[in-house]
Amino acid sequence: PEPGCLRAWAAHSQALVGRWMTARCGGEARQMRRQQRDEFRELLLSIRGLPAALPALPLELTVLYNSLLFTMGASDSAIKGEAAGIRQGLLRVLEACGACGQDLGMEELWQKVLQEITVEELQASLHRLGALQAAWWLAAGRLESVAGLFQLLSTAEDLGRAHCSEGQNKLLSMIKAWRVPPEGASLPLVQSAKDLKEILCTAAAFLQGLQELEAGNFPTALSLLQEAAGGFCSKNILAQIYTCLGCCTQRMGKPQTALQHLKRALQVDFQCLPALSHVAAVYHELGETDAEMQALTLLYEALGKNPTAAASSSPCFLMQTELLVHTPVLTSLLRRHHPSEVKYLLAQRCLQDGRVADAVEHYLDFLSLLQEGLQQQVPLDGSSALPRIPEVFLEAASALEQAGRHQDAITVCEEVISRTTDLIPRVLRMEEKLEQPECSLPGAGLAGGLLSQKKESLCCLAWRAAGYLHQGWAWAKLGESKEAVTQFSRCLSDLLRVQLHESGVKQTENLQAEVEVLQKIRLLSLIGRGTQFLELGRHKEALLDFQHSLQISPGDPAAASYLVQALWKLNRKQEAAAQWQKFSQGSPAMDGQQQGQGRPLPLYLVSCLEQAVFPHSEPLARSIQDYLGTAAQDTS
Amino acid sequence: MLLSEQDQFLSYNGEVLVFQLSKPKHAEEADDKTMNLYVRRMVFNRDTKLFVQKSSGVFSMGDSHSKVEMICCSCTTDSRTGIILPCVLMKKKKRNNVKYFLLLLHSSNQFEPSFYFKLDYELKEDIRLFAGPSLLWRHANKLFYISSNSCVVQSAPVQLSSVVWTGEIVGEGTVVLGIRTACLPETEDPHEFSISDRAIWGSEFFGYAIQTQKMLTGACFMPHAYSRVVSSVYVCKSERLKKQLQISLVAITHKNQLIWFQNGVPKGVCELPYEKPCSVKPALTSSNDLLFVVSFASGNSCVVRRRDSLQVASKWQKVKCVLVDDFIGSGREQLLLLFQEDSNTDVLSTFKVTDLGEVNYASGINYKYDVPAAEGLQENGLLTVRALETRLQAGWNSVRELQQHLGLQKRVILESCRALKDLVEERTHILPNSKEEGLVSLWDDVENPPDSLSKETSSASQVPEHFTEELWQRVVGDSLIVGVKLAESFNLSLSDVSLSLVMDQDFSSILPIIKCQSKIIKLNKAFSALAVSSSQIEPPPKKIKLDLHSKNDLKEEFPKMSSRIQRDGTKTVTAVTSLSPLLAFHRVCCVVLLHARKQNHQNDSLQQSKKITILCGKILLSLEDISNSRYSVKMLRDNNYCTGSMEDILAVLAVSVRFSFQIVSCDYTLTPVSSWLLGEMECTPFKECQDNIFCHKAGNVHGTIFNWALKNPFEGVLTVFCRNLTVLFQCLHSLTRVLPPSCSVKLLRSGSKGVLTEHLALALEKEMLTLKKSLFLKETKAENSLTWGNESGKKINNAPLDSLLDTEEGVQQFRKKLQNEREESVRSMNQTMNGALYQKIALKIAEAQLSSDMIVWRLA
Repeated sequence: PEPGCLRAWAAHSQALVGRWMTARCGGEARQMRRQQRDEFRELLLSIRGLPAALPALPLELTVLYNSLLFTMGASDSAIKGEAAGIRQGLLRVLEACGACGQDLGMEELWQKVLQEITVEELQASLHRLGALQAAWWLAAGRLESVAGLFQLLSTAEDLGRAHCSEGQNKLLSMIKAWRVPPEGASLPLVQSAKDLKEILCTAAAFLQGLQELEAGNFPTALSLLQEAAGGFCSKNILAQIYTCLGCCTQRMGKPQTALQHLKRALQVDFQCLPALSHVAAVYHELGETDAEMQALTLLYEALGKNPTAAASSSPCFLMQTELLVHTPVLTSLLRRHHPSEVKYLLAQRCLQDGRVADAVEHYLDFLSLLQEGLQQQVPLDGSSALPRIPEVFLEAASALEQAGRHQDAITVCEEVISRTTDLIPRVLRMEEKLEQPECSLPGAGLAGGLLSQKKESLCCLAWRAAGYLHQGWAWAKLGESKEAVTQFSRCLSDLLRVQLHESGVKQTENLQAEVEVLQKIRLLSLIGRGTQFLELGRHKEALLDFQHSLQISPGDPAAASYLVQALWKLNRKQEAAAQWQKFSQGSPAMDGQQQGQGRPLPLYLVSCLEQAVFPHSEPLARSIQDYLGTAAQDTS
Repeated sequence: MLLSEQDQFLSYNGEVLVFQLSKPKHAEEADDKTMNLYVRRMVFNRDTKLFVQKSSGVFSMGDSHSKVEMICCSCTTDSRTGIILPCVLMKKKKRNNVKYFLLLLHSSNQFEPSFYFKLDYELKEDIRLFAGPSLLWRHANKLFYISSNSCVVQSAPVQLSSVVWTGEIVGEGTVVLGIRTACLPETEDPHEFSISDRAIWGSEFFGYAIQTQKMLTGACFMPHAYSRVVSSVYVCKSERLKKQLQISLVAITHKNQLIWFQNGVPKGVCELPYEKPCSVKPALTSSNDLLFVVSFASGNSCVVRRRDSLQVASKWQKVKCVLVDDFIGSGREQLLLLFQEDSNTDVLSTFKVTDLGEVNYASGINYKYDVPAAEGLQENGLLTVRALETRLQAGWNSVRELQQHLGLQKRVILESCRALKDLVEERTHILPNSKEEGLVSLWDDVENPPDSLSKETSSASQVPEHFTEELWQRVVGDSLIVGVKLAESFNLSLSDVSLSLVMDQDFSSILPIIKCQSKIIKLNKAFSALAVSSSQIEPPPKKIKLDLHSKNDLKEEFPKMSSRIQRDGTKTVTAVTSLSPLLAFHRVCCVVLLHARKQNHQNDSLQQSKKITILCGKILLSLEDISNSRYSVKMLRDNNYCTGSMEDILAVLAVSVRFSFQIVSCDYTLTPVSSWLLGEMECTPFKECQDNIFCHKAGNVHGTIFNWALKNPFEGVLTVFCRNLTVLFQCLHSLTRVLPPSCSVKLLRSGSKGVLTEHLALALEKEMLTLKKSLFLKETKAENSLTWGNESGKKINNAPLDSLLDTEEGVQQFRKKLQNEREESVRSMNQTMNGALYQKIALKIAEAQLSSDMIVWRLA
C-alpha cells in the first residue's frame, strides 16, 4: 500500500500523544509541553497545507484539539482572547462541505457548523472542539455564549433532562447534560473530553459563584461554590474554593461555618495562605483576640518560610480550572498578604488589646523590616492593610510609652518630627473656596488636587503635632517637666499654623476628620502643658491652659477637673467649687453626647487620651465637698 | 544601455548574462525592422563592489515583419559536447502561425541556432528547457516536447493538468513530474483505497521519463495528496539504493507553504510570508545551511533556511529576479537580488549580493528590506528571560534559606545562652515547648465529647438476651448462602464468630458437617451522609477543648476509638457452601450453628472469653424450591436505585471476592471515580444501603458491587465485590483510564492502613501493659519482695511523661530508666515464682504478642 498522508498523520499524532501520556508527570514536563506544542503545531500546519477533505477532518480536528490544549498548557498563564485555531478549524469543516462562513462571528459560525454539518463521522471531534471553545469563552466570562454552545451541542432529549431538575443552575445543568462523545483508540487525546467536561463544570460553578458573591446573593453563591467544591478540582483550586466559601459564609453572618471552610482550605493546601488571613479576620470579627493572634503569627511565619512555592508545581493536566477562572473578585479574595502587613496587623491588634509588651516587640520588628527597604517590604497598592508610615511610627511610640520606654518613644517621635518638617507650609489656610469644589465642574480637577494637597499637609501637621504631644507626655513621665512644657508648646505653636475659620460648621466634609484630629491633639496638648505647669507650681499659666482647653472642648471632664484643681491651688476655692458643681452636674450628658458623635480616634492618640485623664478626682471631690459643707455651715 | 521589461537575466559560471532585444543603434532612424539580440557578460568586481561588463555579443534576427520575443532562457547541457551552455528560446509571430527557435550561446559570445519549429498556437503553459537542449510544454492537457536531436515535436501519451518539475533522475534520464486526476485502481483493496490520498483528494503525481517513454510512480516524489496543492518543485537529490529511488525535494504550494520531502515523506513545513509562490530554487551558501529561494507572483521573494526546522530567514519586496551563483568567487553560492526600479537605470546598477551571512554587497539600493522574520527569535528571547528569572528566583530563594538558617542558629544560640544562664544561677531550665517555638495548631482536632464515654459504659453493662435476630438462605449461582443476623447489642461482646451447617438427617455414609466458608459482613444501613441541610445551620461556637496532657484522658480515649471501629452497622454472619452436593439429596435439612467467643468486657483477654455455640435454627432445601427460584437473588434497576432485599445484597456480597483499594491522588480530587461508577459502569446504589452500588453494565462485570468511601477529596477506598479475578481486572483496567494521572492505587489486604495501624498501636500498648502488669503481679506475690521494682516503677509513673518525651534529654532519660528496669527484671527472673502464676503470665504474654504479630502480618 502506498504511504498515504492520512495514515502518516494519524501515526504521528498517535506517537505524540503516546509520548505525552508516558511522560506527562515526569520532571521535565514543562520542557516536554513546549516541545509537544511545537510538534502538534507543525503537524497541524502540514495537515492544513492540504485542502480540507472529509475523511481527514476527524483527524485534523483532533490534532487541533490536542494542539490547542498544548498551547494552553505550555503557556502557564490564564487563557485570554479568542482561539484563532478553532475558527480556522470550523472554516475548514465548512470548506470540506462546500460551504463558507468567512464573515461570520464565532457564535454564528458554531451555529452554522453544528446545524448544517450533519456528517456522522465529524460529530465526535466537533463536539470535543466545542468543549474547548466553551473553555475559552468561560475564561473570557462569556457565559451566555457557553450556554448557547451547549444548547447546540446537546440534543433536545438531553436538554429536556437538564430542564427537569428545577432550582439548579441553568448553565451547569446544560454542561452536565452534554453527552461526552466516546474516545476512539485511533484518535487519541492528550486530555479526555470527559475531564474537560468536569473541569468546565467546576469552572462554571466557581465563576458563577464568584459573580453571585460579588453581587451579594450569598445563598446562591454558597450553593454554587459548594457545587464547585464537589467537582473535579486540583488541590490548589479546591483550597481557593473553600476560601471563597469561607468568605461567603462570613458575609452571611456565620463565622463558625466560615472557620470550618477556611480550615478545610488549609487542610487541602496549606499554601493557600489567604485562607489563613481570612481566619484571622473572622476571629477578629468574633472578638477572639488570642485565636486571631495565633492565626496572624502562623501566617507571618508561613509567609516567611515559603514565598513562592506555588509557582514551581507542574500539573499533569493541560487544561485546568485555574486557567479558566481569573476574575478580579477572586484576585482580591486571594490577595496574598505581605509579611510586613501581617506584622503590622499583629502589632496593631496587640496595641488595641492592651498587650503592650507584645505590641512593642511587633512594632519594633516592623520598623526594622522597614529599614531593610520600604519598596520590598511594603506593598504599595491600594488594598494594603497598612496605614501611612508616620502613623505606624506614632503607634509604635505610643506602645513604647505604654511599656514605660519613654526615652525610646521620644526617639521614635523625633523621627516623625524630623521627617515631616519640610512637608508643612508655614501657614495652612482653610479657605472657604475649597469647601465646595464639586460645584464648579471645570475647575473640579484642580480644586480636587488642591484639596488633596491640603489634606496631605493637614495629615503631616497632625503627625508632627502628635509627635510633639507624645514627647511631651514622655518627658512628663520622666519627671522632666520643663522639657515636657517645651514639647507641648512646640505642639501648640505648630497647631497655630492652621488658620481655621470660625465658621467651623462650614468645614468641608472632606477635611472634617483631619480637623477633628487636630483639635483633639490641641486639647490633649493644652491639658498636658497645664499639668506640667501645675507640677512646676506655675498655677496661673496652668489655669490659662485649662481654660483654653475647655474652650476647645467644652465640658471635657479631664480639662474641667484640672481647671478646678488649678483654681483650688490658686486658692480661689469658691470659683473652684462653683466650677466643680457646674461640671459634675453637666458632665454625664456631655459625655454621652461626645462619645456618640465622635469618630474613632486614631490609634496613636488613644494612649495620650488615657494619660490626660485627671488622676485625683476622688480626693479633689472630697476636699471640695468638705469646703462646700463648711461654706454651707458658715452661711447658715 | 537602459534596462527594459523584456530583459532576461541568467547566471552562468559566476557571471551574469543579460539578454536584451533591441533594434541596432545605427538603424534607429531608418524604417528597419531588423531586431538584434544582445548579450552582455557581467562580472562582479570585488574592489569596486560593482558589476562590470566583461564582454558582449550580438545576434541579428535579420529583417522580419513579425514581432520577435524572448520566451525564456536557461542553462542546459549540449548533448553533442556535454557542456552546459546558456540558451534562449525565441518566438517569432507571423500571421497564422508562430515560429519558435532556440539559440545557444557559446563562450565566444557567438549565438548558434539550435532548432526551430512552427505551431499554430502560442506556448503558454509549463514551458521548460532541458538537456539536449530540449523543450517541453503543455497544451490542452497534453505534453509535447522537442529536442535538438530530432527536431520534431512529439507528444507524450498522458493527460495531465500541470507540470511541476522537469529534470534528470538517475537511471531514468529526463523525467517530467506532472499532476493528473487520479486513476482509480482496479486491483487494490477498495477499503484500503478509500483512505488513500488519491481517493480523498482525487488527483495524483506521475513521472514520465522522456527518453524511455515510460511512466514512473509519483509516490516516490511526494504523497499524492499534495498533487492538489503543489505548484512547483525542485528536486535536490535523487539516487538509487537497492533499485529504490531515493528522492529529496522541496515543493511550494498554493496554500503558501514550503514543504521538504524525503523519500516521499514530508519532513518539514514552513509557512511562506506572501501569497502565490511561483518558483523555488536552492542555494548552498557559506553558512552551510541549505537555503531555498522562493519567488512570488507579486514580485516578492523570500529565503527559507533549513536547519533543524524550516524557517523564513529573510524576505524582500519588489524583486525583479533572484539569481544564485558564486558571483564573488568565494567557492560558495550567493544570492543576487535584482530589484524593480521605478526609473530605468543602467544594467545591474541596483543589486544586492548576499549569502545571509558574511557576504553582503549592495549597490544603489535605497530600499529597506524587511527585517529578518525569524519568528522563533522573539520566543527565544522570552525563554531566555524566563530562564534568567528562574535563576534569579532560585538565587533569591537560597539567600532566604540562608537567612532562615541564620535565624535558626541565632535562636539556638540564644536558647543555649539562656540555658547556661539558668544553669549558672541554679535555676531549672525549662525548654520552650513546641507551642512557643511557633508550632501553634489552630484548632484542636482531637476532641472528646465526654458524654460519649458515659453512653458507652451504660450500653456495655446491658446484657443482651438474644444473640441472633434472623436466619435466611439464598442461592447465587452454584452456591448456597446461609445468613444469620446478629443482634445489634450483641455485636460488641463477640469475637471469632463463625457459622457451621450440620445436616439434620442421618446419612450414615456421609459426614454430617457441611464444609462451608464463614464470613462476617457489616452493612451500614445509614444513608450515605446526605447532610445537605447541615450547611445551613451554624455549628456551635466553640468546641470543648481537652487537656491532652493529663493522663486520664489519654487512657480513656483508646477504648473509645477501638469501639468506634466496630460499633456502626449491623453484622451478619454468612456461610457459603457449594450447592450442588447438597441437592444430590433432593431434600435436605440443615441445622445452623453459631460459634463465637464471648468476651468479658472488663478484661478482654483470651482467658476470660469463653467459647459459646448457639443454635440459630434450621434451613430446608429442596430442588423444587430452587427450580421455582424461591431463594434466588433479585436485583432490579428502579429509577436511580437498585432494589433488592438486604438478604439479597448480603448473599451477593458473601459469594463475591472482596478487594479493597486505597486510591490516593496527590493533585486532583477524586470525583472521576464516582462519575466513572455512575457513568461508565452504569452503577446504581442500593435503596437499602446506599454506600454500596450495583453494576448494571452488560457483560462480564454485571453484578459487581462497589463501595466507594471517600476519606477526603483526595483519598478514598474503593471496595470491589466481584465474582472472579477476571472481572476485577476488567474493572481496574477501566478505572485506571479515568483516574487523574498522579494517582496511586494500592491494594489493601484487610482493612485500611489507618485502621490497622491504630490496631497495631493498641495491640503493642496492650502487649507492653501485659508485660508490665505481669511483672508487678510477680512483685506483689513474690515472697521476697525486693526494693527494685518499687523504686523504678514509681519513678516512671510519677514523672510527667509527656513533658519528658518532649525533649531529647527526656527521651534519653526515659530510655535509661527503661534499660534499668529491663535489667532489673532480668535479675528478678532469677527469683522464684509460683508455677501456676508463671504459666498464667506466660500465656498472657504469648497471647498479646500473637495478636500484635497478626496485625503486623496484615499490615505488611
